[in-house]
Amino acid sequence: MNSDLPHINESAIDELKEIMADDFALLITTFVADSETRLQEIAEKLEAKDANAFGRACHSLKGSATNVGVVRLAELCRQGEQMGNEVNMDAAPELLGKINEEFILVKNMLNAKL
Amino acid sequence: MSSPANVSEVDRGSKSTLKILIADDNHSDRLILQTIVKRQNHTVVTAVDGVEAVEKFTEERPDIVLLDALMPRKDGFEAARDIKRLAGEDLIPIIFLTSLSDAESLAKCLEAGGDDFLSKPYNQIILQAKIKAFDRMRKMHSTLQLQRDQIAENNKHLLREQQVAKTVFDNVAHLGCLGAVNIQHLLSPLSVFNGDVLLACQKPSGDMHVLLGDFTGHGLPAAIGAMPLAEIFYGMTTKGYSLANILAEINQKLKAILPVGFFCCACMVELRFEQKEIEIWIGGLPECFLLRGDTLEKIKSNHLPLGILKAESFDTSTYRYEMNDGDRFYMWSDGIIESTSPEGELYGEKRLETMVEQHIRSKELFDTIKQEVISFAGESGPTDDLTMVEVTMIPEQDLGVVSNPQTIATLHGPKQWEFSYRLIDDSLANFDPIPLLLQIVVEVPGLRSFTGQIFTIISELYSNALDHGVLGLDSKLKSGSDGFGKYYRMREERLRKLENDYISIRIMHTGYGEGGRLTFRIEDSGAGFDFSSRMETMAQNNAAVLPANAGTFSGRGISLLSSLCSRIAFEGRGNIAEVDFEWEI
Repeated sequence: MNSDLPHINESAIDELKEIMADDFALLITTFVADSETRLQEIAEKLEAKDANAFGRACHSLKGSATNVGVVRLAELCRQGEQMGNEVNMDAAPELLGKINEEFILVKNMLNAKL
Repeated sequence: MSSPANVSEVDRGSKSTLKILIADDNHSDRLILQTIVKRQNHTVVTAVDGVEAVEKFTEERPDIVLLDALMPRKDGFEAARDIKRLAGEDLIPIIFLTSLSDAESLAKCLEAGGDDFLSKPYNQIILQAKIKAFDRMRKMHSTLQLQRDQIAENNKHLLREQQVAKTVFDNVAHLGCLGAVNIQHLLSPLSVFNGDVLLACQKPSGDMHVLLGDFTGHGLPAAIGAMPLAEIFYGMTTKGYSLANILAEINQKLKAILPVGFFCCACMVELRFEQKEIEIWIGGLPECFLLRGDTLEKIKSNHLPLGILKAESFDTSTYRYEMNDGDRFYMWSDGIIESTSPEGELYGEKRLETMVEQHIRSKELFDTIKQEVISFAGESGPTDDLTMVEVTMIPEQDLGVVSNPQTIATLHGPKQWEFSYRLIDDSLANFDPIPLLLQIVVEVPGLRSFTGQIFTIISELYSNALDHGVLGLDSKLKSGSDGFGKYYRMREERLRKLENDYISIRIMHTGYGEGGRLTFRIEDSGAGFDFSSRMETMAQNNAAVLPANAGTFSGRGISLLSSLCSRIAFEGRGNIAEVDFEWEI
């Protein structure tokens, strides 16, 4: 199902460009930098087998991903949040791989819009 | 009446630019939100976690708070609780920024004091709508608070004013002798603001006046007339005035000062312990009850209330009844018969009458009526003040000494005294001693009601002594075409040339029973007159036609004096006059 989602919601990006105007670039670099920190945190929590913290970190990334319209990344994070909440981490390492992959993809796509 | 603090509160409530606190640990989210809010012309304060959010709230006092739910150090729920607590009575709307979607999490936001949610992705139109809505709510809240504070302040002010008014009223309308052994009464402490007044006072004779008044209206307008009423009641009663005189005076005063439509229903009685009778005047109050042995007599109002009729049409006619010791008289304001049961039924005159007849021999009748009316009104209690009074005829000696605190001085005013007062030369020209003398004389308890007569006597004696004695003016001068003018020119002239002239006035009073004798002796430095021939004339003809040689007395003066005084005598060379005035209440 998540493969049906676009990587980026284009109309959301257009609206953000309109809202942010000159600050759009700042927003994108902030998002990218923030997300890299967050991804590192997610990896650490997985390593530490801290399901709750893993879920919370995913929740946080989900929020900012939603706001910048990278909807497929947001959906992957939602799955991670759910795993954390249910303390069912079996599929978490695989999911983290997908999240990292997706992030690199959208990072390039977003940078292309600057 | 708004204080500066209130004004700034209004300003704060009505400004269009708001200060908005945004707390979110996600930099990019914060950036988006901040940009949207700034574009809507609001000022933004940001915080990166819950601890900083609470700090910034305290420092900046923002109008609206946008709060992320999950943040490090202190989450949004806890921060919301802190902020609501710090806000106190002010309404600080908190909007939770959340991508949480389960009902349980949303409920947690509300419980923590959240007012609304904003979900991600942020939509600027929705955010703008929410900010506007909460701004309206905030303004409404501060208006409401302001009005509430104003109402509270006004109410406090009103109560203070009522307290002052009540203090003044209590000083004027102290309890009088309501504490006497033959009086039982029911009167709420603040009844004056319901328009009810109950006054009792003993006359110098020992008889007792009791007045129950019920002014139209409520609050200060109802209370305002009570002050002059009480003042007149106490003032005149302690000076020995009659029921009729006092009522006429009160009526006239109230008529003069109260606006149209304001008046006082009243019942006033005089209880005469010696004669064993009661005199009753009733205007506009419900029927009063006179209980004599086993019989109940209802006494209907037969006058208009006080303060309506002009003096000339005011009727002071009264009922008089014999009252034996132990007989009782009841009067009440309409609060008794208009008491209403929880079902809306009136207590009514019929019920009252039946109840009184049932318990007519009971010593506890007063309390029985009170209890019955209160229980009839049910839990909510009577809506109007219950004012009623029972007055019992008792042997005079059982009454003991009843204090009328304000008037002790007058009651114990001097009865046996004499004084002399001597005016010399210039003082005769420049000073009118009559009001001063009058004031001393009417200090005698009971004598004030004869002020008019005493004034006439003193002023006649004095003007005779001055004009005809000291100044040697002949009243015959006044007759003739230019006589009047000539007389007064001469008078002015002679007043300027006084030398070794005087008038001595000596006044003595002897009291007996409820009256006394005042003796006035007045001596002047003038030449006097041949009073022996004058006396003969008087003996022959009571109307004073002065013989030519008697000269120095005006005809009117002598005839007036002889109508008021029991004795008129002249001494010396006719320069000393002495008269007696006998009085009795």
